[in-house]
Amino acid sequence: MSAIGDTAAESGPSGLRANLRSLYQCTNDFDFTRLFKRGLVIALLVSVISIVSLFTRGLNLGIDFKGGSVWEVPVSEVSVDDARGVMEGLSLGDAKIQLAVNADGTKILRVQSDVDEVDASREVTQALADLAAIPPSEVAVTTVGPSWGNEITRQAQRALIYFFIAITLYISFRLEWKMAVGALVSMVHDLLLSVGVYSILQIEVTPATLISFLTILGYSLYDTIVVFDRALENSARTVAKTPYRVIMNRTLNQTLMRSVNTTVATILPIISLLVFGALLLGAQTLEEFGLALLVGLTSGAYSSLFVAAPIVSMLKEREPKFAYTGEPAVTVATAATGGAPPRPARRGTPRRPATPAAPVGAIPPRPRKSKKRK
Amino acid sequence: MRRKGALPLIFFVVFTLGTLTWTFLVGNSPVLGLDLQGGVSVVLQPNGPVENEDTLDQAVDIIRNRIDALGVAEPDITRQGETVLVQLPGVENQDRALELVGQTAVLRFRPVLQVLPPVGDTPTTSAPTTTAGDGATTTTVAPTTTAAGAGEQGLADLGGLTPGENAAGLQATTTTVAPSTTAAPGTASTATTVPAGTAAGECTGVEDTTRLGDDGLPVRLNAEGLTPRRRDEACNTVLLGERDEDGNVVTRYLLGPTALTGDALSGASAGLDQSGVTWLVRPTFKSGENGIDKFNAVAAECFSAATTCPTTQLAIVLDSDVISAPRIQTDNFERDQIQITGDFDESSAKDLALVLEYGALPVELVPQQTQTVSATLGEDSLRAGLIAGLIGLGLTVIFMVGYYRLLGVVAVASLTLEFALVWVLISYLGESRGLALTLAGVTGLIVSIGISVDSNVVFYEHLKEDVRNGRTFRSTVERSFGSSFTTIIKADIASLIGAVLLYLLSVGPVRGFALLLGISTVIDLIATWFFIRPAVLMLARSPRLRNNNAALGMPNVKATA
Repeated sequence: MSAIGDTAAESGPSGLRANLRSLYQCTNDFDFTRLFKRGLVIALLVSVISIVSLFTRGLNLGIDFKGGSVWEVPVSEVSVDDARGVMEGLSLGDAKIQLAVNADGTKILRVQSDVDEVDASREVTQALADLAAIPPSEVAVTTVGPSWGNEITRQAQRALIYFFIAITLYISFRLEWKMAVGALVSMVHDLLLSVGVYSILQIEVTPATLISFLTILGYSLYDTIVVFDRALENSARTVAKTPYRVIMNRTLNQTLMRSVNTTVATILPIISLLVFGALLLGAQTLEEFGLALLVGLTSGAYSSLFVAAPIVSMLKEREPKFAYTGEPAVTVATAATGGAPPRPARRGTPRRPATPAAPVGAIPPRPRKSKKRK
Repeated sequence: MRRKGALPLIFFVVFTLGTLTWTFLVGNSPVLGLDLQGGVSVVLQPNGPVENEDTLDQAVDIIRNRIDALGVAEPDITRQGETVLVQLPGVENQDRALELVGQTAVLRFRPVLQVLPPVGDTPTTSAPTTTAGDGATTTTVAPTTTAAGAGEQGLADLGGLTPGENAAGLQATTTTVAPSTTAAPGTASTATTVPAGTAAGECTGVEDTTRLGDDGLPVRLNAEGLTPRRRDEACNTVLLGERDEDGNVVTRYLLGPTALTGDALSGASAGLDQSGVTWLVRPTFKSGENGIDKFNAVAAECFSAATTCPTTQLAIVLDSDVISAPRIQTDNFERDQIQITGDFDESSAKDLALVLEYGALPVELVPQQTQTVSATLGEDSLRAGLIAGLIGLGLTVIFMVGYYRLLGVVAVASLTLEFALVWVLISYLGESRGLALTLAGVTGLIVSIGISVDSNVVFYEHLKEDVRNGRTFRSTVERSFGSSFTTIIKADIASLIGAVLLYLLSVGPVRGFALLLGISTVIDLIATWFFIRPAVLMLARSPRLRNNNAALGMPNVKATA
């Protein structure tokens, strides 16, 4: 196994570069267990902040939820004040009026008001079309009745509950019920965090946002399942009594690069949606999707590592085989490193050295058949 | 290269390219949703609980008929649970479409007891029996003959307008022959609140006379001097108005209990009279006691100016608005030999015919969300989505090839093939099932790039790890794939569960999103098995790549131990 010694020597120089190199070379050996507690506390804190904000500030609901109308008028010379004048003339002085400029120089006047009847909204359409000197058919209008919001909220809640139930059953069936608990808690965390960001920043919530929230859950779940599947594989392979956090730590190291790369590969198109689609080209829907997805993806990557994994570790360590006895936990970079020298825990956790789960040494890795086969 | 694995790969590539070529040859292309090409979308929901599922289906059929009659290219009228979604891509006259879709009102025929001026006008003609036509409608009847002279008769009668009657805009309608009316249906506006009660609006009970004052008028009137819509009950005497195009009341009518409803009609058509100049409307009643008999009964009363119909006028009321009150000029009609003439143009005549034919829906539907997208804004969104998607795709390609080298190229090839398949599928579904690609769907597609790449990453990371642990790239491909694929299946199924639930439980854009997400996930599974696996196997067997881990993005390990 001299090859491995070589690599270890190569990655000798410490620092960021070495860490990145170890990631690329699959020799990374971070100690995640030390961060478990902190990770959970942060997640809890963020969730509490989100809940508090939800109850105090609430959500900035779009017209689809509370009823009202939005007009989008392509304009050339019209100013916000002109539009304000028109709206005041219709005794709708409290309308929200914005002027957006597209990349190609065309301007869109966006007017939002609480008119929730089709007839009344038609009047406004006509007035705005007159103002911009265009036919009314060029004006994009959305009018939502007052009770429609309850309906879609109800639909979303129902979809969410069914989704949670189905996923819990599915994971319990394909993996383990303890993992279902971990996945569920981490999904709730992602949901809370995303909604919390929308509440704290008072960004408007639209049906597109709802879709994004549900997608986020899907992504977060995908991440979590990949980790759990590997943990299951690793624990099945572990013969000796081993604290579960050790197994989990090994799993997290093994799946870290996948998580990172997947997140990068997924976030790239979404950032492109946000930056090019929404900001430069001014497509409203794209922006609505993109922002929630960006927040959710980041949160999903975090929760797989620091919410789902610690919870499953805690649950599994109640089983005698995986119990944590307080004896030095152990990290292993990769399952078959054999005689590789135990590396010191790397950067990333230097701040609080007194965590009880300090990593030392290496668990005896189960020899792989491959060696014989070769 | 005829080795295990090459066959499925060749099959997959040939299949994809073949279907793609076929799609182009047949000329299939994705149907754009109305948010991308402009148009009108209306979400309707029943007002109150629906007892019978069939009535909703019936309502959907009626709406579909109305829309078809309007000549919309690819209308999409679907029932999703209790919600009816009407999408009219590319509709130009959006207001008109909205009116027709929204018109879920109840059509009633009521005898006119008295004609009153609008509130605010000095009541110059408040005599109980306004004779000689109020000008709103003059009806001449040529009962069984569709008579060439009918139109002239009606027009001639115009001269008989009562002096003093404020006829502002009223001479618009001269009704020759039989029942009905004129006035663009637009004046009836969209259905908002129609009284609850019997769905068809029929009077089955007894009149509640306690609501009438000493002067014979209803006690409770609104600011316009009319019976409020919610009090417009079938059996009672009500005071309703006829409105002009701006929605102002021009004439008020005191109306007796409902004599019959739109149910009695079996159809209506608009056409030119024999001179080929004047537009008229021909309603057809059903035969028998629930059709023409009922109509003739009330026609006889009106013709003889009985106390139940002293004015000899029969009002046609749609959604609490009087559309017209033609004078009945005979007591016996043939059910299919009736025509309404007046100052129609083609559009108003056709609109009236539509309202008569499909006026009454079996259930009242209230518009919950109406959306009008202009074609220009739609195009802008489509372009923005496409550009953003392509840039995002480019970034992902750069990342994958930069990180995984040759394996990254395989991933990109697989992504391209998957995209081609999705294109084929949505084009096909668009042509055959009317599936429209909305902005939400486009977003779903962009999001699915991530899912597709994910499968590759799971597999490649597994490979790298195994190589890191001392295996040769070549020896470990099958093994890594097997173990990664179970993971991918588990995760993809979770995604699918989400997509299916979203699709089933939601309405509108969310469904489009979920559908495309689901489609891409399934195609991704197929591509992973039929393309990525054999392609990577082939790379592994290539003699030139042996021991060239760098080109494969593998860790730098000489695995010859």
